[in-house]
Amino acid sequence: MLARELAIALRSRLAWLQAALSALLIGHGFVLAVDLYSAGARSAQAGTLMAREFDPLLGIVRPTLGGLYLAVSLLGPLVAARPLAIEKERRTFHALLLQTASPARLTGAKLLGALLSAGLQLVAPVLLLLLWLALGGHLALGETLVPLAGHAFYILLIAALGTACAAWTRSLAQAATTALVLVAASWAIDAAEGFAALAWLGRAFDWSVTTHLGPLEHGVAALDAGLWMLCAAGGLFAAAWIGVRSEGAPVRRGLALAAVLAGTAGACALAHRLPWRFDLTEAHRQSLPPAAVAGLRALGGPLRIEVYLDSDDARRRQLEADVLAKLRLARPDLRVEDPLDGREAPAEGERDEGYGRLVLHVGAKHVETYSTSRRELVTLLFEAAGRPPPDWQQPEYPGYPLVIAGRARTALLLLAYAGLPGTLLLLGWLVTRSKRRS
Amino acid sequence: MSAEPTGLRVEGLSCRRSGRWILDRVSFELRPGEIVAVIGPNGAGKTTLLEAVVGIQRPAAGRVSFGGRALRRLGERARVFSFMPDDAEPPAEVSVAALLDHAVRYGRPPPGLAEALRKGLDLQPLLRARGGELSRGERRRVALFAALCTSRPVVVLDEPLGTFDPLQLLAIPEVLRDRARAGASLLLSVHQMSDAEKIADRLLLLRAGRVVAAGTLDELRWAAGRSGGTLEQVFLALLQAEQARSEHARP
Repeated sequence: MLARELAIALRSRLAWLQAALSALLIGHGFVLAVDLYSAGARSAQAGTLMAREFDPLLGIVRPTLGGLYLAVSLLGPLVAARPLAIEKERRTFHALLLQTASPARLTGAKLLGALLSAGLQLVAPVLLLLLWLALGGHLALGETLVPLAGHAFYILLIAALGTACAAWTRSLAQAATTALVLVAASWAIDAAEGFAALAWLGRAFDWSVTTHLGPLEHGVAALDAGLWMLCAAGGLFAAAWIGVRSEGAPVRRGLALAAVLAGTAGACALAHRLPWRFDLTEAHRQSLPPAAVAGLRALGGPLRIEVYLDSDDARRRQLEADVLAKLRLARPDLRVEDPLDGREAPAEGERDEGYGRLVLHVGAKHVETYSTSRRELVTLLFEAAGRPPPDWQQPEYPGYPLVIAGRARTALLLLAYAGLPGTLLLLGWLVTRSKRRS
Repeated sequence: MSAEPTGLRVEGLSCRRSGRWILDRVSFELRPGEIVAVIGPNGAGKTTLLEAVVGIQRPAAGRVSFGGRALRRLGERARVFSFMPDDAEPPAEVSVAALLDHAVRYGRPPPGLAEALRKGLDLQPLLRARGGELSRGERRRVALFAALCTSRPVVVLDEPLGTFDPLQLLAIPEVLRDRARAGASLLLSVHQMSDAEKIADRLLLLRAGRVVAAGTLDELRWAAGRSGGTLEQVFLALLQAEQARSEHARP
């Protein structure tokens, strides 16, 4: 079955076309990122910017993978649904099911085909990052592999989504449309942050894929994020398996699907609670200073922070990204409570005086502050514990400014806009062309 | 005392779709080594019957059993049936060689069968071609191989003879008969009466989802009140008689 599925996945013109289109999109993101990075690096050479501000993870890797995310979201569902959907369109599905006698094996083989088809999109970013290295750029292995792994998990999730949609629909068009609607639902949750009409979706923020890709894209190996995507993919695989099993009354199959989706939601929620995250960035840039980390770990008693900020308050998001995420890296047991989340949204001017305060608990002691400064909050935690504030010395991150100009830039432009998409198209043509005897 | 049931038995099979009975209490038996052709006008329910027998269509009522054991689950049906749907297209991207290997792997045919079918269906020249490069007749030969190359006791073929030229129509029925001689039971739907007459041991005539007549050609002739004639003549006579009966019964 493997040879059959490999052929269906890799001898498909659609798969190579999406890989080439994706390469074009990713290449464009890469070129823009390199140009911006180079422009900044020129300023660093002129002394107006510090060299240590030049972080290839944020400047090159993330924008390049941003193009991959967009391409996988838009094109992935189509190629991921195809291996199973075309069996239905070609009327071979039931004969194949009867032949193999195993819905699980058939679903697994189709998921593998979907993964291979959608996975072709990973070729372009990997080659472009290698090109960055070849041009003299710097990439730290750990912090580059973590976001790549995150996007590989996302491709797996899209492959499982496409397969599940194909299992429950009758044609490729229906399957791809359903999968795209579900991807758009995840985007709608993201959009809720800045769009009042979608504010009610803010509570579903934990169900957005970008919530889980975020820490991985910053070089933090977040087990919760990886496991969340694996659980979601596993649940979608189970949903596909139920869809492929053609026996049983529709109501019974519907109930089984509902049970699987509920189980998946539970597993994802549990995965999201896993506290273990590891900062794999060079010089631990995502972490607090080493002395603060060591000191926080040595603090006795549980740590708890009450945040009196509404969920749509920009300060709360800034606090989460800038302070709480770093505190969790040092103290995975940190509990953050948002007491205002349960209340009705207040009208403008109705917020009470205590709005905006943070209550920091260390064991039985607590302190209050209105500051959201990282250093201030860490210092207050130590004060509450009766300890002196830690040394705030951060390890030196040298930064890697690099200007890509002249011939190197021309070569980069040619490769990103023509060489890579063209090579993928050529490879696709070679693999898919007809070799039929006359 | 009745003999132990050995073959396929279909009892009172009914299928309903959009408020209409597509199959209405269809019953028949298929013995080992026998070829039964399901015939009938367009829309008679031939394809639905075959799909309901192998489990693709959910019947509203009825029972399908083999060797006296009811076939309900996929695993039970997969041990008994091999199926070729009508108009199925093998995957366009996969080579014929890979498709045949796949069929052999999952069909687990008895020794020598794969080679005999490859020869009988003249597939050797097609091995390097891909599914999408095949003509309709070639695709049908590959699909026939996939369905016939098996050790499963009942082979169900939907319109296996519909796309072949007269020359191929000399060879293909012989391939099917060889499988039956080797012990497989074949249940076919056949549109052309001349093809059905050539190949079937027994015939099942359907009209509007109901069995009009069943038996050997001689038995159908007897049912039609004729002493001779081709299957086509018998078929028309039986259908006209059935139509007259229906009109007579209508108030």
